[in-house]
Amino acid sequence: MAASLSGMTTLSTPRPVRLLNISNLYPSPSQVRLLPCGARRCTRLVVRSTPSEIANKVSESIKNAEETCADDPKAGECVAAWDEVEELSAAASHARDKNKGKDPLEEYCKDNPETNECRTYED
Amino acid sequence: MAICTVHTTPSLSMPNTHLHQRQVIFFTSARRNQFFRGQNRAFTVSCSADAKTVVIGLAADSGCGKSTFMRRLTSVFGGAAEPPKGGNPDSNTLISDTTTVICLDDYHSLDRTGRKEKGVTALDPRANDFDLMYEQVKALKEGKAVDKPIYNHVTGLLDPPEVIQPPKILVIEGLHPMFDERVRDLLDFSIYLDISNEVKFAWKIQRDMAERGHSLESIKASIEARKPDFDAFIDPQKKYADAVIEVLPTQLIPGDNEGKVLRVRLIQKEGLKHFSPVYLFDEGSTISWIPCGRKLTCSYPGIKFAYGPETYFSNEVSVLEMDGQFDRLDELIYVESHLSNLSSKFYGEVTQQMLKHSDFPGSNNGTGLFQTIIGLKIRDLYEQIVAERATATAEAAKV
Repeated sequence: MAASLSGMTTLSTPRPVRLLNISNLYPSPSQVRLLPCGARRCTRLVVRSTPSEIANKVSESIKNAEETCADDPKAGECVAAWDEVEELSAAASHARDKNKGKDPLEEYCKDNPETNECRTYED
Repeated sequence: MAICTVHTTPSLSMPNTHLHQRQVIFFTSARRNQFFRGQNRAFTVSCSADAKTVVIGLAADSGCGKSTFMRRLTSVFGGAAEPPKGGNPDSNTLISDTTTVICLDDYHSLDRTGRKEKGVTALDPRANDFDLMYEQVKALKEGKAVDKPIYNHVTGLLDPPEVIQPPKILVIEGLHPMFDERVRDLLDFSIYLDISNEVKFAWKIQRDMAERGHSLESIKASIEARKPDFDAFIDPQKKYADAVIEVLPTQLIPGDNEGKVLRVRLIQKEGLKHFSPVYLFDEGSTISWIPCGRKLTCSYPGIKFAYGPETYFSNEVSVLEMDGQFDRLDELIYVESHLSNLSSKFYGEVTQQMLKHSDFPGSNNGTGLFQTIIGLKIRDLYEQIVAERATATAEAAKV
């Protein structure tokens, strides 16, 4: 196995190797943010955005809180509504952090181990 | 002496409450070949401390760094803390080899709809079941497993319970660890993260501005709506804490409101049995120290330390304060070499821990530094308690 990887030094422990098919990997547009191009280079920053389920919940709860508080900002319902916004924002932030560590290839291969990208070679 | 109990998760087939000091169970691995990859049918072998678990409480408002603190703390003890395998994916619990972290939100008595109906926030004690909290923390402390409910933050509902085995170190983190007196008495050490309003606002902006639907006004409204409940129920807990990490805006940059450079104060209670406060140069005196100078060059705005005895809510405390940022590794190591009573096991341990998690927020200022130091202090406290119990049982055995 080491011989077929040209230019690489012999690995002490043979590790499974996957062939990469990039097209499945490239993140969808909603997850890619283009940083403004500076004088020297344009950097493309891939940001893991919040999973859409939680993101929707957050924006809905904000709308709900604004409506509830339009009548009486001091009422219990208004306070509870903003507390819900806070709770959901915290959950969204945790979900973002969890997704930061995830490798898209590993995720894909968990569900589709038989595809070409996910074939493993162990000597 | 440790007792190792073997049980299949999640059932409780081994009654571990009846095992006393002198029994050690050896588990032979006859069945090890039958563990298939991908299947999580593992036998878990957990070794719990002789008599009881050490319980640590951590209190802070939402979005104030509890999760970061937890990750640093579990890292000091070794091993990564992960949610329980094979259980509810939305579980808030984290388990590592030595530590289990329980989120006190699991003891909400009202779920999100219930709170909305009653017009009550999660900060309100009426939304929490303190009796259940006390019972379960007490049971875990005595070495008994419990069925702890799960509060699902995504759906806002109370999910079916999960089994929690008693660990060596139990950390309870949330809004109210020190609110109920009975629970407070069970804690071996308690920490409160006190974030000032300006810094809280800046942190929440950083966290939420990228979120669709949020705006500066909505973030501000959210903080202000929760403030009365926070001041009434959460803030008073800080007088009971053994250590308070207070985060304030910096004094080094006049008029700074970005919240990037922070002034952090570690307020440590004096006179505690297993906790000796960290100090600078001379214990009990008042010191003001700027490490930047001939030996160390720092970039703007630099670093400033202060240390001294104070009174905090009529308790004697020692306060260690850091204002500014670390830019380079040698600044950190230089500072560490001048602090005393760190409870580190080798020179440079604090720096090593900070570097291990250099991607965590606060890794370049006092928040990360003091969280790491408190982590080492807790490890020291745990070892002292375990040693004490071991000698106590040895004495009892001799008699």
